[in-house]
Amino acid sequence: MDITSKLIYALIGLLIVVNWGMLMSVTFRKIGARMAGRHGIPFRQPWVNLLKNISTRTIITHGYMYYLGPVFRLSGGIGIFLFMPMVFTGNADGLWTNFSFQGDLILILYFQVFGMLGMAMGSGEGGHPYSAMGVARGLAQHAAVELPLTIAILAIAVQFDTFSIYKIVEAQQGGFQNWVLFTNPFASAAIILAMLGALGHSPFNLVKAPNEILIGPATEYEGTYLGFMMSAGAIIHVMEAVLFMNLIFGGATSWIELIIKSFLIYFWSVFVGMVFPRFKIEQSVIWFFKWPLGFAIIGLLMASF
Amino acid sequence: MMEYLELGHIGLIIGFLLILVGFWGVLTQKNIIKIIVGFSILNTGINILMVSLGYVKGKTAPIIDAAVAQGEGHDVSQSIVDPVPQALVLTAIVIGFGITALMLAYAMKLYNAKKTLEINKFNDLKW
Amino acid sequence: MVNPIYIVAIALGVSFAIGVLNKLGRNFTGSLVLAAVSVMTFISYQWFAAFQFGEQTAKMIYTAGFMPPLSINLLMGHYEAFITLMINVIGLIGGIYMFNSLKKRGYNAQVIYLVLLMGLNVMVMTRDLFNLFVFLEISSIAIAGLILLEKGTRSMGAGFKYILATSIISGFLLLGIIFAYYFTGSLNLDDVVAANLSSIKGGALAAFMIMIAIILEIKPFPANGWGLDVYEGSDVGLSAVISGASATASFFVLYKVMDIAGVEWNYYISIIGAITFVGSNLLGIAQKNTRRMLGYSSIGQLGLLMMILGFRDILGEQTPYIAFGILISHYFAKAGLFWLSGIVKSKSLKGWSNIRKKPFFLFLMGTFIFALIGFPPFPSFFAKWTLVMELVQTGNMTWVIAILFGSMMEAVYLFRWFGYAIKGENEHLEDFKIKIHKITPVWIAAIGLYVIGYFTAQFTEVGAAINFIPLAFVGLLLAIDFLPVMIKNTIAITGMALHFYFVYPELEGDTLRLIFEGIFMVGGILALIAGYAYKGKRSGFYPVAILMYAGLTAIIEAGTTLEFFYGWELMTAGSYFLIIRGKRSMSHGLSYMLFSIGGAYALLAAFGMAHVGQDSFAMDILNTITYIPTWAYGLLIVGFLTKTAAVGLHIWLPGAHGEAESDVSPMVSAILLKAGVFGIVLTLIGMGAENNQYSELAYALGWLGAITALVGNLMAIFQEDAKRLLAYSSIGQLGYIVLGLAMMTHLGWLGGFSYVINHFLYKAVLFMTIGAVVMRVGTHNMYEMGGLIKRMPLAFLAVMIGIIALSGVPPLSGFAGKWLFYNAILDKGWYFQGAVMFFSGGLAFLYLWRLIHTVFLGQLKDNHRNVKEISIWFLIPIYTLIAGLMVFAAKPQWVLQPMGDMIAQFFPTGQLVWDGGTAISQYGYWAGSLVGVTIGASFVFVLFWLLVSTRKAHKVKQFDITYSGERPERPETTHVAYNVFEGFYQAMWIATIPMVETFWNRVTEVLHETAEFTRKIYSGNGQAYMLHIVFFILVTYLVIIGG
Repeated sequence: MDITSKLIYALIGLLIVVNWGMLMSVTFRKIGARMAGRHGIPFRQPWVNLLKNISTRTIITHGYMYYLGPVFRLSGGIGIFLFMPMVFTGNADGLWTNFSFQGDLILILYFQVFGMLGMAMGSGEGGHPYSAMGVARGLAQHAAVELPLTIAILAIAVQFDTFSIYKIVEAQQGGFQNWVLFTNPFASAAIILAMLGALGHSPFNLVKAPNEILIGPATEYEGTYLGFMMSAGAIIHVMEAVLFMNLIFGGATSWIELIIKSFLIYFWSVFVGMVFPRFKIEQSVIWFFKWPLGFAIIGLLMASF
Repeated sequence: MMEYLELGHIGLIIGFLLILVGFWGVLTQKNIIKIIVGFSILNTGINILMVSLGYVKGKTAPIIDAAVAQGEGHDVSQSIVDPVPQALVLTAIVIGFGITALMLAYAMKLYNAKKTLEINKFNDLKW
Repeated sequence: MVNPIYIVAIALGVSFAIGVLNKLGRNFTGSLVLAAVSVMTFISYQWFAAFQFGEQTAKMIYTAGFMPPLSINLLMGHYEAFITLMINVIGLIGGIYMFNSLKKRGYNAQVIYLVLLMGLNVMVMTRDLFNLFVFLEISSIAIAGLILLEKGTRSMGAGFKYILATSIISGFLLLGIIFAYYFTGSLNLDDVVAANLSSIKGGALAAFMIMIAIILEIKPFPANGWGLDVYEGSDVGLSAVISGASATASFFVLYKVMDIAGVEWNYYISIIGAITFVGSNLLGIAQKNTRRMLGYSSIGQLGLLMMILGFRDILGEQTPYIAFGILISHYFAKAGLFWLSGIVKSKSLKGWSNIRKKPFFLFLMGTFIFALIGFPPFPSFFAKWTLVMELVQTGNMTWVIAILFGSMMEAVYLFRWFGYAIKGENEHLEDFKIKIHKITPVWIAAIGLYVIGYFTAQFTEVGAAINFIPLAFVGLLLAIDFLPVMIKNTIAITGMALHFYFVYPELEGDTLRLIFEGIFMVGGILALIAGYAYKGKRSGFYPVAILMYAGLTAIIEAGTTLEFFYGWELMTAGSYFLIIRGKRSMSHGLSYMLFSIGGAYALLAAFGMAHVGQDSFAMDILNTITYIPTWAYGLLIVGFLTKTAAVGLHIWLPGAHGEAESDVSPMVSAILLKAGVFGIVLTLIGMGAENNQYSELAYALGWLGAITALVGNLMAIFQEDAKRLLAYSSIGQLGYIVLGLAMMTHLGWLGGFSYVINHFLYKAVLFMTIGAVVMRVGTHNMYEMGGLIKRMPLAFLAVMIGIIALSGVPPLSGFAGKWLFYNAILDKGWYFQGAVMFFSGGLAFLYLWRLIHTVFLGQLKDNHRNVKEISIWFLIPIYTLIAGLMVFAAKPQWVLQPMGDMIAQFFPTGQLVWDGGTAISQYGYWAGSLVGVTIGASFVFVLFWLLVSTRKAHKVKQFDITYSGERPERPETTHVAYNVFEGFYQAMWIATIPMVETFWNRVTEVLHETAEFTRKIYSGNGQAYMLHIVFFILVTYLVIIGG
């Protein structure tokens, strides 16, 4: 596939992902509202917000790093998308594989941080304490999530002897019994639990604490910045779900399958978030060092023997 | 009795006893002057020991005088005791004298400094 | 040739003459004494030169016209000439030093001084036992007499105890001599030896008494309280002479009479020597009084010399060389230190900080201390090296351990003392005066050490191969230390550039060495450029910095293990001085030095083991160790790990790097740590690289690396001090490198090496930038900074690039290491080590964000509103390094491919396949350049979009935010910086307990308590000291002759 058509397909894919991400987020808001006995926001709300934010006429800036924060965030999100093979078509260089030929799973794992770090630095220049507190909590939780996640991912890599996402998905084809979920249930359990932290809903949402004072970088940004960050958020949410889908749920052979699977994965974290109250940061750190870590270690042991 | 206890042995025993007495004095007496006396006794003991070791039964002092049989073809060394220890003793006595004098000078200075001769009191330098 | 009998004749003649001529004044008599000593020195020298450079054979001098045994005879041989030369030289320069103090005590004292020297000379030369006794007594009486003529009760007590003890000892000697005469019929040493005393019934007792008396003269531990009191209490000039001349003479006497006792005594002498060496140095730790501490050290050194004598059958023809090296170093160094202590006039160790008021004194003191410990280029270095080589060669590891342990203890107290001198508080201390006649001897001793050290090296084949030119360059920088920074910096940089230019062709083709040499030299030059930012003279900086680089390059260029060790020690010394320059670095400098010395001793022992069964000292003997190889490689690894600060051996690093000066931190962190890595690389190659037969060692090393990574990164998170944060981060990064290397696979090494280069680049950037910021804001505490992006945007940019690279986030170069590590882990199967390491990598984000946020982001403090951008002299090297990072990031294949080729020499299997710019491993792939393009393109695209849609962005001020319902007005209340990761700490506190530090503190405590407890036996009571002597004799008797 030549680079131009790759680029075109990638752009189409990106559009799908952005919109799907916004739809998922509004679904989550709706579920939350219905649980609380409210009607909730209309489904069009994210698009309205995005349009309104992007078309605001005034904007402030605290300095150039502040200005670059959303750029880091959004280009980080786009980058993850570009490095991720979205739909499995039996061809490593096929239709929806984007630019995944440039790097494997490890590239995605480390590139995730690009956007986070940039946004953290950008909001830091604004000088608001809440953004710094949010980042500090987020980083601590991220580190804790990382341990079981890394071990579980190692287990999968050991199992298939590869870091290529395409190959991992390929190995899971031919029926759900080939999914890592069933071939290495412990590593999968670890990932499913660690996923909760990665997606950042309750009980692991102290990072942004949406119910009381909103903290975290989002407090700092408005207007076009916020629009960018919302788009980035939408992309990243979908991409996290797609990553886990590719790793343990057999990937997707079509966009429909991708949408269903990513919705279910996303719904899992929404479901847990509805049921469980929020953890303090030390509680969540310790929590990740218990069950998820234990499962991950068993999973890795299983894979290595 | 005299067969066993000849002059050389008597000297050895006395010398040895004096050495022990000297050691006892040096190690147990607290008064510096007494310690110095102990040293003198010790030295004396060593000197007597030295001379006794050089003693040969029935021979005379290594001084060429009337007591020594002299003559052509007669080896003088056959009739005298070993002269070397006696010469050494002379030197040792001189050195012992020097040391005793030095110690006494110290005793004087130490007494002047602290008005006491107790050796226990002079432990400014320790550990 | 002047007959050596004139040494005695002149001394006696002048003594008697002074009795008559004293009316001419004390200056005259004093000069006469010095003139006499000069003539004596000349006679010794003439003989020595004849032996050394001519064909002279040993000459027997007969007295009184008779032949022995009827008369006394003297022997003037090669050794005698040398030892009397030593005695007379120290007598001469020591006499100059004591000129005034002797003058004050009168012409009697001057005469006694001369007689003392004469006595020592005769002790050395005489071949008659009784004569030996007489002159021993004369020397003792002379020393006691000199003390007697001093003022003050303290020295008086010491003198009295001295004469008591020596009288007891000489009593035993006399008894022994008499019995020896009784059994052999001769007083002549050679006759007594020929008669083989020990074989005669009862003769063994005679031999025992002679030997024990002579040993006691050397002041063996613990029967040596009287000697210590004299060292502490008497005139310093006299202490110097006792230490330099009297101890040397006693040592030689022991050498002479040892033949009487027979070979079985060798062993006992070694034991007594070892006990003395270890015991004295252990007790020295508890000392707070300088003079007494020097006394302990003197006695310890004599113990070491005794050990060497005892080993003479083992050491064979090397014995004189080894004994000479140790003896001459101790001789000059200890005399020099005693003399210095007379000038500085401070009794307590802490009081020595006033020595800084005359900076060149530090040079003198440093010279002596480094010579005592056995650093290059001093004779003791070469002697200790040869000693250990020979002992290990003959399978005497136990002795080696005793020697190294004792030396370690000695280093503890000497370097603690030196630390006080360099860094101690000295505001309230009085200055001291220098008198020319007192300082000249010190200079002679110091220069003597360097000159003799050089010739000692030339004496052996391996030593002669050492390149002393860099060291000479250090000397040059020392000589021009009075010039301003600009000039010195330029000279230093030119020197290093020239060196690199000349060395480069030699290393071309040897990529391994070239990588490290490049880091050392190029990195060194860049770090030195930052030095232009300093004003004034920056006195003492350049010699020590170049000393470190001289050592580093010597390590790379080393062809033999000796050259390597030489470079290693130079590097240690240089970096010690660099580190201790920091404001609060005293304790950190000490712990750095002690860990380094400990590590160096491990290396020394290992090099010894490598030499077993080999003729050469070439570096490749490390590849074929046959003598307990697991231990040898283990020791090598431990030795090198002290420099890479592996967990357990790391406690010196945070303080040392954190408190160092701004441009020193990058030198010691980004550059110096790589020396340890280079060593580990050599060791692992030695272990067989791909055919590694010591997998358990490599396995342990791997875990150690992983845990080090975890500990370093975890501790870095909770630091409030920016430089300590970076220092802990270095520990962690070095942990990665160690783990990568320990994997012993192609990918592991490639990962490790890419970290070597990357860590050099970004840690230099970060340390330099933070250091430069610290210079501007005047604090290390991150919570006292904040918002500095507004004042120093270029510094911010540098740190941002640095942290992105360090964290391993693509597209910068750090990701190369991460990617390689994942592949290597999968390849090797060390999943859990890998998991620990990747978790550590995750932790890095926490401290890196903290670093950039609390320093550059958040709220700008009021007192920093006018700080300037960091100095241009820092920006130049920083951005040069960043350019390097960028090249690595843009074209990783340019770096990784040649490195892969180099590693393939050792690990041919499992190489990366390069498809253009895409690296393909067995498990994954990574197209470094393309990833950069993709990320760059999306970044530019988004940025462009933002620019288009926000053209009218309104710039707001610092406090244009609302917090707690109001607009903040004080940055302190709004800047989130202190204890940022409180929640994380509450979860992780248990892992941050400093167990290693507690362990080492306990070790220190136990040593101190033992020393404190044991030294109480020196109660200060003269009788107790005599009892010690008697007990010593009894115990030795029971052990040797048997009960």
